[in-house]
Amino acid sequence: MSRQSRTRTGLRPSFDGALAGIAVASTAAVVLGALVQVRYGGYQMPLETVWRALFDRAVWTNPDVLATILLGDGHAELLGVYHDTAVLSDATAVVWTQRLPRVVVAVFVGANLAVAGAIFQAITRNELASPYILGVSSGAGFAVVITIVFSLGTSLLPVAAALGGTGAFLLVYAVAWRGGTTPVRLVLAGVVVGTVFNSLQTGVFYFIDSNGAMRTAVSWLAGTLTGVGWTDVELIVVPTLLVVPVALTAARHLDVLLLGERRARALGMRVETIRFGLSVLAILATAAAVSVAGLVGFVGLVVPHAVRTVVGSDYRRLLVGCLFAGPALVVVADVIARLGLGGVQVPVGVVTGLVGGPYFLLLLRRTESFNEF
Amino acid sequence: MPQRPHTDTDEDPVESAAVLGTDLELGYGDTTVVDCADIVVPAGEVTALVGPNGSGKSTLLKGFSAELAPDAGTVLLDGTAVHDRSPKQLASELGLLAQENDAPGGLTVGDLVTHGRYPHRGFLDALNDADHAAIDRAIDLAGVEHLRDTALSELSGGQKQLAFVAMALAQDTDVLLLDEPTTYLDLHHQLRVMEVVRTLNEDRDVTVCVVLHDLQQAARFADYLVALDDGTVYDWGPPEDVVTEDLLADVFGVDAAVSYDDEPRIVPRRALD
Repeated sequence: MSRQSRTRTGLRPSFDGALAGIAVASTAAVVLGALVQVRYGGYQMPLETVWRALFDRAVWTNPDVLATILLGDGHAELLGVYHDTAVLSDATAVVWTQRLPRVVVAVFVGANLAVAGAIFQAITRNELASPYILGVSSGAGFAVVITIVFSLGTSLLPVAAALGGTGAFLLVYAVAWRGGTTPVRLVLAGVVVGTVFNSLQTGVFYFIDSNGAMRTAVSWLAGTLTGVGWTDVELIVVPTLLVVPVALTAARHLDVLLLGERRARALGMRVETIRFGLSVLAILATAAAVSVAGLVGFVGLVVPHAVRTVVGSDYRRLLVGCLFAGPALVVVADVIARLGLGGVQVPVGVVTGLVGGPYFLLLLRRTESFNEF
Repeated sequence: MPQRPHTDTDEDPVESAAVLGTDLELGYGDTTVVDCADIVVPAGEVTALVGPNGSGKSTLLKGFSAELAPDAGTVLLDGTAVHDRSPKQLASELGLLAQENDAPGGLTVGDLVTHGRYPHRGFLDALNDADHAAIDRAIDLAGVEHLRDTALSELSGGQKQLAFVAMALAQDTDVLLLDEPTTYLDLHHQLRVMEVVRTLNEDRDVTVCVVLHDLQQAARFADYLVALDDGTVYDWGPPEDVVTEDLLADVFGVDAAVSYDDEPRIVPRRALD
């Protein structure tokens, strides 16, 4: 009997209908969203042209062209693989250099925010925690507005956002620390630091003098994917490749952390060390997303929450689900942000917010008791 | 008030101690809650900590499990200080079932018990055969096999407690501390929990130290009783020696009749002023 159940436990993670459902549905949403995103816009093309552009032999059979597109002219030249991309057809150029990278960035932003949210929900033992709960958003926002006010150059914005977010997080930890931390202390410290930085940010806003700079600042704070390219993909790929495997390995520790601090300690966990390490991991994921897309809201809150209601609170399954559902939400939201209003593009964060609000309304109406955690 | 353990046992209690507290002072901030000269949990026995609310039972347990660093004195586990061990090392030798038992509702009993193997696994280790064996044994011993794939949110309070007991058993330690494991449970599950503890002690020779609220239950199930009064050891020894009408009057402030015919029986009459 015990052997039978052991086999069952062993098999369960590899065959999980709910998780497979999320993966399939999310992948379908990403693919459909990508097709719509690539086809429509200022330069319209029939689906057939899209297809031909995506599988253009001029790109796929020529590694130098592919490398030049992905790495950008400068880096390609540096590596000696530069090839003039003017040889490409208009359709191919639009698809490969403008629309496709935007979809790819959306995928990575969604994955990072969802994973970061899932981790922060375990750390704070609060299923309504978001990646921004420990001050990251306000720190990054402040740094971005400062960068714009002092005209330090828009190329510095990703760095400023990452540094500001990380700085605020460290400050939160320092404020919360008193011979150790607790989830409540961390959240409260997040409120303290967040409030101060938000005030500073609002104050500094008034020193922005040009309308264009104001628009840049606002779209950064709302979270936008307008104008992203392959350089942004490069920026976010590296931290993602680190975060995802480590998070999946740490899933078991997140599960134990969720059992409560005393219990985790009784099981021999160095709670403070693990908690700080996991926070750093989640901050890395958040900073990666923020540096390319700004402060896209609600993704890191809604996605882990929704996935949890489907696959349960086992963190390995939850994180895998987030890796699929996060990209789906951001890709689809970005289609709406870019194409939904005809000519005017809105920041993708506006759309994710519009999706996130009703999700919780639905939850409020349908759920009797909230004890999933 | 006898501060020293009784000497009417076969062996020297300090020699055979699994857990030994010496000149122990435990407290929070500036308040000292526990202040006792010697406290012994004999190896291979079931020891119950009893005492009224605020007498320092749970605090003492926190000192034993190194959750609370003593302000003075030492706690020795198997002869070496608990605080000298790494958390994982300690958790593989000493298990603790705390009072708070909230856990994610979506977790199944099987998942929960698996977490009991935490101290035995490296950061990257998958479950090995020894882990599976310990998990199966713990689930079997706690009698929750039929609940293995049930989510915690669907369990009754008593079933949930048995699941947590199973988790602590999967830890596979030589010493197990339990903080009021039967409080809030119905009678059936109270007895189930205590029977599991008893079996664990008899079959696997695990040293058990359990905080119990119910004096009669403590007298029935434990080999030794430690009666705490206001942070000090009031008395220590076999139940018949410790649970007396004097103890009830002095420590618990209750006028009661105590008798040992075939079973310990405590009949409380009234509260003393």
